[in-house]
Amino acid sequence: MGWVFVLPGLIGLVVFIVVPQLASLILGFSDSTVLGGTEFTGWENYARLFRDSQFLNSVLVTAIFVLVYVPANIAISLAMAMWLQTRIAGRNWLRVIFLIPALSPMVANAAVFRLLFQQDGAVNQALAAVGLAPIPWLSDGNWALAVVIGVSLWQSFGYNMIVLGAGLDSISPDVIAASRIDGAGRFRRLFSITLPLVSPALFFTTVLTVIGAWSTFAQAYVITGGGPGNSTMTIMLYLYQTAFSNNQLGYASAIATVLFVIIAIFTMFQLWGQKKWVHYD
Amino acid sequence: MTDQQLAVRGARRRHRGRTLGFVANSTIAWLFALVFSFPLIWTFFTALKPANEVFGARITFIGSEVLWSNFADAWVEVDFGRLLTNSLVVAAVSTLLTLIVATLTAFAFARLRFPGRSAVFVLFIITLTLPAEVAVVPLFLGFDQVRLADTWIALILPGLFGAFGAFLLRQFMLQIPAELEEAARLDGASTWRILTSVIVPLVRPAISVLAIFSFLGSWNSFLWPLIILNSSDKWTIPIGIAGFTTQTGTQWELLMAACVMTIAPVVVVVAVAQRQLVAAIGAGAFGGR
Repeated sequence: MGWVFVLPGLIGLVVFIVVPQLASLILGFSDSTVLGGTEFTGWENYARLFRDSQFLNSVLVTAIFVLVYVPANIAISLAMAMWLQTRIAGRNWLRVIFLIPALSPMVANAAVFRLLFQQDGAVNQALAAVGLAPIPWLSDGNWALAVVIGVSLWQSFGYNMIVLGAGLDSISPDVIAASRIDGAGRFRRLFSITLPLVSPALFFTTVLTVIGAWSTFAQAYVITGGGPGNSTMTIMLYLYQTAFSNNQLGYASAIATVLFVIIAIFTMFQLWGQKKWVHYD
Repeated sequence: MTDQQLAVRGARRRHRGRTLGFVANSTIAWLFALVFSFPLIWTFFTALKPANEVFGARITFIGSEVLWSNFADAWVEVDFGRLLTNSLVVAAVSTLLTLIVATLTAFAFARLRFPGRSAVFVLFIITLTLPAEVAVVPLFLGFDQVRLADTWIALILPGLFGAFGAFLLRQFMLQIPAELEEAARLDGASTWRILTSVIVPLVRPAISVLAIFSFLGSWNSFLWPLIILNSSDKWTIPIGIAGFTTQTGTQWELLMAACVMTIAPVVVVVAVAQRQLVAAIGAGAFGGR
């Protein structure tokens, strides 16, 4: 009887999630295009990937994005979650305010940031107001990547903040009180009590944030289109252009496979690492 | 002064200190929230400016006139009425179907025993960590093959089967005491009847939260609609807005008006359902275990 109820979900999961994931692996060995037929070309796509400077650049750009964005996101989310644990007037409304960009369309958020960071936009006007020179936010590669990272942080930390807040809520006040009586200072309490107890939530947010960061797309697409040069060309954006602007679906699938492998390695590394720092009761 | 007077004075001083701390803490937090919200506030004011005053020598929130007509112009310029209708229809259908599939799956995992249940459950867990973006090329090819590319069927179908909803509902269904189910069974209720008359009413709050998440997920979705939809008469709001921004010579005041109209419904939904949303994000995070 149970099968009847699980079947719709299971069939859908297999057809629209499992099979496409596997098909992507297979297509990576082909020269598939939209109209043309599919011929299997063995490892050719992968050999080409390692000579493709645009692709290697996109891996580098995304890696920088991940390395800056993930630690910053977790640190800000945790700091904000802990701050909102203290006595603050209207803190439920503060939670909502920080959550709004996380739940509104990335495309709209990104359009707003594109306006703010125009050469004569509000951010440079603010800099001018305090006597600073304007910064070429979107026409200089390093600044453009910084803007893309910035909007991503602004957009998404609210969600992790709520998850970590739920983790903090579940810590029993008795434990904190006991540690206080034992004479533990602020930092001691943070590192010996709070962080270990919130570590399952921290682990969960980190894993999902890393996966999301490697697949970053909309921010770069809307704000910079991957430019200037290829300075904000993420792997996912390069995959999209390869597949749907250049009609190289086979080659794009090889990119997808590499992205999948990168994400899998990072996820497994974290699963392995959790034994060392995640404490379940 | 007696000891008692001293104690009272000490308590008062501590109290005053705490009140001061409370006020300072709250003020800083709200100032931070104001800075954080600046982009959205700026969007709103830009949406009301005349075109030639969007960029100026210095920051001004209100231009020489307040043009509410920008909203009407944006409505026409990007065919917002059609985008809005499309987005609403797609989101409503997606949400309804997601709820049905997730409820059935969650019910099977939480309340029914069947051979192979744990294997199927593990499969669901594994898919939670697969990045959906990676599979867009085969999905597109598959729909293209069966001539469903550029249809709403292709737009909606792949989003219905994520394991998140099933896990969220399962978590709540597990908490329902078995006695309720047994009592219904003694009264001769079928399994289907137990689901619809006992379980679903009891997990209605969780279902509403899943409805909100599905709706917002569809409302915000960008990559897949961008890939699968070709004809502009089928576009959803994010695709319309993105098309607007990539044109040369963006009409910023109209674009910002469109952004306001896109973000406003989300703000309303989040504000109305804040308690449930915050609780569910916390609970949903640990639903998989």
